[in-house]
Amino acid sequence: MHTILRVRRFNPESPNPAPYDQEYVLDLEPSETVLDGLLKIRETVDDSLTLRCSCRGAICGSCGMRINGHAMLACKTKIVTVAPHGGLIRVEPMSNMPVIKDLVTDMEPFWQKIRQVEPWLQPEGPPPETEYVVPQAAMQHLTGVMACIMCGVCVSDCTVWEVDSTFLGPAALAKAYRFVADPRDAATMRRLLALNQPTGMWDCTRCMECVEVCPKHVAPMDRIMALRAKGMSARVPSTCGSRHAEVFTDIIRQKGRLDEPLLAVKTLGLRNWGRLLSMLPLAIQSFIHRKLPPSGPLHRAIPGIRSIRRIFARVEKRS
Amino acid sequence: MKYAFFPGCVAKGACPELYQSMMAVYPRLGIELEEMHTASCTGAGVLQEKNVQLGDVLNARTFALAEQRGLPIMTICSTCQGVMSQANARLTADARYLDEVNHILAEEGLTYSGSVQVKHFLWILLEDFGEDRLRSALTQPLQGLRAAPFYGCYLQRPTEALQFDRYPGRAAALERVMEIVGVDVVDFPGKTRCCGFPILTINERNSMSMVAMHTSEAKRHGADIMVTPCPLCHLNLDGMQRRAAHQQKTKIDLPILHLPQLLGLAMGLSPRALGLTRNIVSPDSALAKLGITV
Amino acid sequence: MATEIKTYDVVIIGAGLAGLRAALAAHEEGVSVAVLTKVYPVRSHSNAAQGGINAALTDRGDSWEEHAFETVKGGDYLSDQDAVEILAQEAGRDIIALEHMGVIFSRNEEGRLGTRRFGGQQRARTFFVSDFTGQAMLHVLYEQILRAKIPVYDEWFVTSLVHDEDGACAGAVAMDIKTGRLGTFAAKATIMATGGLGRVYEPSTNALICTGDGMALAYRAGAPLMDMEMVQYHPTTLKGKGLLITEAARGEGAYLLNSEGERFMARYAPTMMELASRDVVSRAEQTEILEGRGVNGCVLLDCRHLGKAFILDRLRQIYEEAKTFANIDLTEEPIPVRPGMHYQMGGIKADVDGRCWDPEGQWKGLVGLFAAGETACVSLHGGNRLGANSLLDTIVFGRRAGQCAAEFARTRLAPRLSPAMAEQDHRLIQSIIAREGTGETVAGLRYTMGTTMNRYLSVFRDEEGIETARRVIHELKERWNGVAIKDKGRIFNTGVIAVLELSMMLDCAEAIIHSASIRKESRGAHFRTDYLERDDEGWLKHILLYYRPDGPPEVAYLPVRITRWQPQARVY
Repeated sequence: MHTILRVRRFNPESPNPAPYDQEYVLDLEPSETVLDGLLKIRETVDDSLTLRCSCRGAICGSCGMRINGHAMLACKTKIVTVAPHGGLIRVEPMSNMPVIKDLVTDMEPFWQKIRQVEPWLQPEGPPPETEYVVPQAAMQHLTGVMACIMCGVCVSDCTVWEVDSTFLGPAALAKAYRFVADPRDAATMRRLLALNQPTGMWDCTRCMECVEVCPKHVAPMDRIMALRAKGMSARVPSTCGSRHAEVFTDIIRQKGRLDEPLLAVKTLGLRNWGRLLSMLPLAIQSFIHRKLPPSGPLHRAIPGIRSIRRIFARVEKRS
Repeated sequence: MKYAFFPGCVAKGACPELYQSMMAVYPRLGIELEEMHTASCTGAGVLQEKNVQLGDVLNARTFALAEQRGLPIMTICSTCQGVMSQANARLTADARYLDEVNHILAEEGLTYSGSVQVKHFLWILLEDFGEDRLRSALTQPLQGLRAAPFYGCYLQRPTEALQFDRYPGRAAALERVMEIVGVDVVDFPGKTRCCGFPILTINERNSMSMVAMHTSEAKRHGADIMVTPCPLCHLNLDGMQRRAAHQQKTKIDLPILHLPQLLGLAMGLSPRALGLTRNIVSPDSALAKLGITV
Repeated sequence: MATEIKTYDVVIIGAGLAGLRAALAAHEEGVSVAVLTKVYPVRSHSNAAQGGINAALTDRGDSWEEHAFETVKGGDYLSDQDAVEILAQEAGRDIIALEHMGVIFSRNEEGRLGTRRFGGQQRARTFFVSDFTGQAMLHVLYEQILRAKIPVYDEWFVTSLVHDEDGACAGAVAMDIKTGRLGTFAAKATIMATGGLGRVYEPSTNALICTGDGMALAYRAGAPLMDMEMVQYHPTTLKGKGLLITEAARGEGAYLLNSEGERFMARYAPTMMELASRDVVSRAEQTEILEGRGVNGCVLLDCRHLGKAFILDRLRQIYEEAKTFANIDLTEEPIPVRPGMHYQMGGIKADVDGRCWDPEGQWKGLVGLFAAGETACVSLHGGNRLGANSLLDTIVFGRRAGQCAAEFARTRLAPRLSPAMAEQDHRLIQSIIAREGTGETVAGLRYTMGTTMNRYLSVFRDEEGIETARRVIHELKERWNGVAIKDKGRIFNTGVIAVLELSMMLDCAEAIIHSASIRKESRGAHFRTDYLERDDEGWLKHILLYYRPDGPPEVAYLPVRITRWQPQARVY
């Protein structure tokens, strides 16, 4: 299949180091991968094309790069899935990390966040004579998180990291979850308190980019949501994030529907005058533009509210 | 074509112009809607942070109500659509789980069999209504207006729950409808990214950075307006745009239109009828390009 | 060219399971430790070990003697039995230690560690994490390295070992790939843990980084390579790139079928069937294929009867792998597989404490150098390694090497190295970058080497083939001098590294060929069609090779150490 790989090149040692695109025309089988294509270029056309790769089987995590705008493992990405009828495929280094050369990024920001969550088991007291006895059910779901190969693909496409590189990010948070959810780990509360801080679990915007791009189905965002739930049930000090979820849920319980002004006020906290005042211009503007619901500024409960409240009671009793 | 209409909280709350424009537009398409007044909020992914199953039961209730009417559900909100798609995927993937949820619903006299289709208005335009019929419903050419699409995360991801496999057109549905409407589609990398709304009250600085980045990037690519099928994105991109610009010490002024507002314009409806005066960033100068005055 | 010298008590080259386990053990002994790796630790090829790790836990009725015997039998009696006894005896303790570090081993109904069956063994004694056991272990060991704050030099490529005035190993010269600069690492003890040499073959299950660096570096520096002819072909690899399908598939009950739908292993190993040792199964498959009962050069691995839920739980990764790389849904159709190069049983000669020299002086080695894992030959695996013994090897002998290296380092003074030590490597790298070349490419030469080895040094061998391979490799070594690269920079010059790796692989290939030509019998993975029988009279011994820069290696022999199991006929 006639395929064009348009590869973003960057040579830091050239007299004018600036990224540029270079196109390579190849004949590839639809079942071949983007990595096959890149290796073909390196082996037959241009051995200066620089990339990381090793296992060819989506287990070492070396070859994360952006393919047609999204980060993925080149070794797992078939030509046919990104260019079903041949044609152009854009290949660029991962985002959100500095580029060292061509498709090679500096992974240090990635590792730094991983180290930040103290990614090692912290049990209490000396270990038992034999293994820790734990039900398989409590461990099995952890294999889904341990499947993470630290390729950096989720960090590359993280929408929060893009605007704020202090965010812990999907990989480190998923790693943190792996220990918080491990029945052998005894540092749960300390971990949750740390994750409760700014740049931690509440800063995720739930955009699901990480869930979508993860080549190992780790679903980092789902782990972040699970961390939030664990945090709330462990009663870590309330934050705007936890209040947002708590208040939101309460409003649905009371009214069956959202009440935006009430949510904003209660999330920011009634005593948080500064933030509340800062929202005032928006409220005034909304008023001027008559952005008011037909029912008036106060949201009434939906007609089916009794049924909703009964469901809340039943589900919350079960869990 | 008849749907159980699920407008979502925001269309009936902080974005009344979305509801207004939808009410103005749909009769012209010959679509029939039965609004689901007793349906609850989907949970928006926020309630799910506390309790996923609770969200699934609430949505199963909505699905059961639609099943009683024998109608598919129409949404006009990316977030509602995404959350309901995810709930529906979980409920239909696992018969035991569906049983468990139905057990909770039983006391409400409801049961969900797993058959309901939930579709965003955007998808319905292409999949049910069809491009040709859509074209024939349009009267006012919008040529020359440069418009950037902005989806909202939940209408793009996760692709599995949104059934992009089965409906490959969904990935670029917004651009397709915009092409048919006749605007010049401005492509820019931010179109499928996050608007920042979910963290507005949690990390306003980051939220505003996202607003500023996407709106100014779209402008840089030449957009006169931005169009979104998601009222939550609209709240942030429109309502908070001035603050975002202030944070970045810049001016942006990119009008953000709801999808039915754009369609309405192409049908020759008046800006007032479409609630365009309720948009915070004024669309006046963009509309003037088309010779439309408010 | 003067380089910075960094000094540690123990320097470990390679950050796979053996290297990281050694680093932790040495660190716990209280000496200063650093790890060098040409990738990042979690990229190491230990990741690829899917199925599990063997251990006979005596508290649940298993016997270490049985595990040891099956290892010896699997190795066709070429294993050193004292080493195998240590392996089997210490396995349980080391598995439990891993569990305590955080490995999420699969559990049974009582919440204790569960096991599955693996090849060449009567009992289920393989502990596992789904089918990514190696990855799960590697990541946990790396977590422990982070906990212990052991310095890791990521993306440093070792170019040579260095010696002190007495000729002992005193560390290494390495290139920081990110900058292209060379640095010298002075060490009282150096542990080689660089893994295998799979890329000497084409195709191979091994990752692209498995280029035999450690074996070549040690060999060139004076340590002997042992039993290099023993190259394992895994029975279930995918056509094309040769990716691995774990033995756990058969351990969990999958069948091997020929084109007639027959479970042909009944004719080769009526008792153990698909779970006979790997050399036996690979030879059976190759025979079926050669006799016309294959399917497009493969046989079929059939998992369908295991059921979808079971497959997704216990064989999740290969389910994904088959879907992605072979476009096959394991739950619905059988998958074509064939024998493929997988593992090097031979390697740098090391004793049970990882030492690459003999304190008693019975064999000549390199004082100060240790080796562990696939790069080493202790020799546990003899002529054929049992599935799930390689992970165990890295953990038990990685730990022992780390402990012994720390102990050794305490008795030594820090080597005094001259900053000029790196001069020779610097000049070599400069000359490679500057070469005009004769049109030769790394890829071209490597492909010729790989296919040659895969043709003549594979499941079946004979003298004519071995000699042909010898000529080809000799010629490739000449042609290596004509390889040029386009990248003239210093920063992340992967071209230079590929040229250096190629020369190391050629040395390894030569060693394999030389050893294979010497051993005139069939034993384990070394099956010669011109010498069909095992010959215990003549060949119950190890072959040691010493590097000679200009000419064939010097050969020495060591008797196999037999403690309790006299060689018997090998029937499965």
